[in-house]
Amino acid sequence: MAPKINGLGVMPEDTRICVVMVGLPARGKSYIAQRAQRYLKWLSVPAATFNVGNYRRANAPHPSANFFDTSNPEGERQRRAAADAAVADMLKWFKSGGVVAILDATNSTKERRKWVLERITKEGIEVLFVESKCDDEELIMANIRDVKTTSPDYVGQDPEEAALDFRERIRNYEKVYKSIDDDKDEDHLTYLKIMNVGKKVFINRIQDYLQSRVVYFLMNLHIRPRSVWLSRHGESMFNLDGRIGGDAALSPRGEEYALRLPDLVRESVGSDRPLTVWTSTLKRTIDTARHLPKHYNQLQWKALDELDAGVCDGMTYQEIHDQYPEDFQARDEDKYNYRYRGGESYRDVVIRLEPIIMELERSEDILIISHQAVIRCIYAYFMQKTQEESPWVPVPLHTLMKLTPRAYTTELQKYSANIKAVSTWRGKGSTAKHEDPTPEGGI
Amino acid sequence: MDTLLTAQIAANAPRYRRTSSTFIDGIHDVPDDQGNLAPAQLYSTMSGRLFHSGRIAIVMVGLPARGKTHICVSMARYLSWLGVKTRIFHLGDYRRATVEGGHVPQDYFYPNASPASVMLRQKILKKCREDIYAWLNHENGQVAIYDAVNPTASGRIALAKEFAKHDVQTLFIESYVDDQEILKENARNVKISSPDFHGMDPDEAAKHYLRRIETKIPVFETMDEDELNYVKMINAGQAFYYNNVSFNYLSHRIVFYLTNLHIKCRTTYFVRAGPATDEDSYKADAPLSEEGEIYAQKMTETLLRHREQERQASIDQGGPDLPLRPLTVWTSTRLRTIQTGEPLKELGYKVRLRSQMSQINPGVCEKLPESAIRRLYPEEVAKHELDPYHHRYPRAESYHDLAVRLEPIILELEREQNDLLIIAHESVLRVLYSYLMHCCTKDIPKLKFPRDEIIEIIPAAYQNEAKRVHIPGLDPRTIPGSPEDIRIRVPVDSSAQLPPIPGMNSPEPAEVVATRPPEKIVNKAKEMVSDKVADED
Repeated sequence: MAPKINGLGVMPEDTRICVVMVGLPARGKSYIAQRAQRYLKWLSVPAATFNVGNYRRANAPHPSANFFDTSNPEGERQRRAAADAAVADMLKWFKSGGVVAILDATNSTKERRKWVLERITKEGIEVLFVESKCDDEELIMANIRDVKTTSPDYVGQDPEEAALDFRERIRNYEKVYKSIDDDKDEDHLTYLKIMNVGKKVFINRIQDYLQSRVVYFLMNLHIRPRSVWLSRHGESMFNLDGRIGGDAALSPRGEEYALRLPDLVRESVGSDRPLTVWTSTLKRTIDTARHLPKHYNQLQWKALDELDAGVCDGMTYQEIHDQYPEDFQARDEDKYNYRYRGGESYRDVVIRLEPIIMELERSEDILIISHQAVIRCIYAYFMQKTQEESPWVPVPLHTLMKLTPRAYTTELQKYSANIKAVSTWRGKGSTAKHEDPTPEGGI
Repeated sequence: MDTLLTAQIAANAPRYRRTSSTFIDGIHDVPDDQGNLAPAQLYSTMSGRLFHSGRIAIVMVGLPARGKTHICVSMARYLSWLGVKTRIFHLGDYRRATVEGGHVPQDYFYPNASPASVMLRQKILKKCREDIYAWLNHENGQVAIYDAVNPTASGRIALAKEFAKHDVQTLFIESYVDDQEILKENARNVKISSPDFHGMDPDEAAKHYLRRIETKIPVFETMDEDELNYVKMINAGQAFYYNNVSFNYLSHRIVFYLTNLHIKCRTTYFVRAGPATDEDSYKADAPLSEEGEIYAQKMTETLLRHREQERQASIDQGGPDLPLRPLTVWTSTRLRTIQTGEPLKELGYKVRLRSQMSQINPGVCEKLPESAIRRLYPEEVAKHELDPYHHRYPRAESYHDLAVRLEPIILELEREQNDLLIIAHESVLRVLYSYLMHCCTKDIPKLKFPRDEIIEIIPAAYQNEAKRVHIPGLDPRTIPGSPEDIRIRVPVDSSAQLPPIPGMNSPEPAEVVATRPPEKIVNKAKEMVSDKVADED
């Protein structure tokens, strides 16, 4: 979707959007910004986040709360300079082909919003304000705990002191904070206001499709703490033979993994709190989930089925190489876009996974049991893997992955079941039945 | 009386099947294709329900002239396109079937109505609700859209409780308008063609109409119920407010769609691109041939003349003397479509290029004549003939792929407020046309768009209608089918013959008629609901 120049020198798509975050600290702004950026990039829309805090940190790496007091002229000057620098870099980025930029800052006053709006619309870029408003104390505290442990501002500081300082910082912002259109004089703005994590939402003056798309995604987000667990099915009979696709049963070792999975999950969750389990409609994932506790709700999604290999379904890589040599090569050259004859590409899988991603963003604590290519696409979404990398990511069998989205990153923990399984990873150009992943393989 | 009879049949027999022609929007048709996938459906399930969303009642809220029917119909069109089995229940249809002439007692909507009026209201509601349950429980339906005023908070809370008892989630959608301009415009557009207002100044008639609503429905409470799931669409999409108790993927998807919808009335035109110098090559992206240039010129002249004639005709029939709505042109990024739009661009019309509107990718079939494809890919040909909509040749796109790729275009199409001319390859026109006219999936690859016709789609609140405008004086060689398409004849399924529309399935006439008046469409279904103009529920 990057703007392309065709034979006549005309830009087919000229919509460019700057998403301007609004809200007090600890309202999940950075989290929302990160998510939006990741989602857009995953769907091949060029997107980037410009965090004003990062620019400010260049001069004031560990400021105390009174730096953020509006009556502190030096703090005020530095913060304004940081915003200036962030906007300048952002405009440069738009010139190099950017489509959606996210300006991550508090933008908590009408004056600041007016400045941002004028500065950006002057360049022919649309502005969409996104405000996260929250008065649920518990949610705010959870966010403060999260931020103080992950924010670069408090690296190496005593957590208790950091929390106190951070709350003082918020108080300084509260003195001047004005929610969008609270004074009824900002109705001309295009904005999305999310109150208490999506319980109530207000949308004003959406201008075009791309904006509606961003708003649609943000409506599905929540900032309640949670994790997503990913696992492939247990080793299947086809895995043993090095065959792809099919609807084979589990191998004996795969059965062993299915039996071990409930304990592995409980160990990872740390309690008996139930998860919602999503499987594909194929036998090997349903069988892998069948020993999980009864109070876990289970759902089967057609959209989680393995990448459809078309005519190659049920073949080994060697057979594909022999019968469709051109295809085999074409796939290695551009694995993300290659579509099997009568089957799917990774790009196709991403499109059909879009509802899954939306539903994942909405939900809490989901365990997904699916297949190699599908897990790769979901993993790429959370871990921000590029289209070149994602089809080659090693996803070993008999391993449970726990992904925990944080304000600035996604945390990954792996739990091995310690049950032997074949490797189904394949390096570029290789036709081996089973080979061990190498760091440079495929990239 | 005749009208009443048809409406009565429709309302009283839920299994009554109505099928429109391909030139009349089939949005109110009841599909009998249990197994058939919808145009942009990504997968199917045993229950027939998608996105793990269960059964949903979408309940409309809003006074008359707020564009409710238009919103319902558009929403049903979009959901069906995604494969969600959706049906609309206009309470007005039931009222008309129950009450002679559709005229209800004066106090019908009053909060303190007489027992007789309350009984009547209950009877009509009950019938409608029974049909909704039948649709959701026995006909594999997933979404029922209930089109009525639903003016009071207590009524809405009771309704949500009633649906919950039947394991149906409720999502309310209110169209709230306080902008007097929009109200007047709506009243003018939709309602005042009623005989009651004949010969009256349109502004005056609109005012009268709006006053009549106020006296007839004295109590209307806008939504503010914290315990209900609702979306409030304010002033035709200028702002949205929603209260989210338990939204799921499908509800969000609906809100997403609504943010792109408006309730203004505008026309869409479809034309093919002119012939190119290298017709056969997909990859070459060849420019227009000489005939192509002539075609572009004649198409432009015909279109502009037609628009002016339509305007004049409307004034002659007593319509207001309004200037033409602005016209926007969309082409794909393929050279021949861009060049076909050139004459309009030179005249100052805004032309936008949409990369998603590129023709279907022919894959390995590029440049191959039909005989060669049959020889080289006999198995693929067999599969294609079984399911021409979903089958894709090696390295090619299927119509289904194309429909999924066109989704952003569909939403932008809804968003556009100007009249719109789409210049594209026949494969793209087929898919976009099928969306607007709600065609059956299996008919899509068979739709024909000869070059000598401009297809005009005229929207109406209840259903759309298509008209064919002849472009005179073209070289007959430029007219026939789609040479760039995969050269596999789509088998004509004799059991699924379309209603006889001149030129639809028959071969193109070789002889060129100098001029032809725009094709008239007989729309029985439209007559059936013609008294919707006086609808007040």
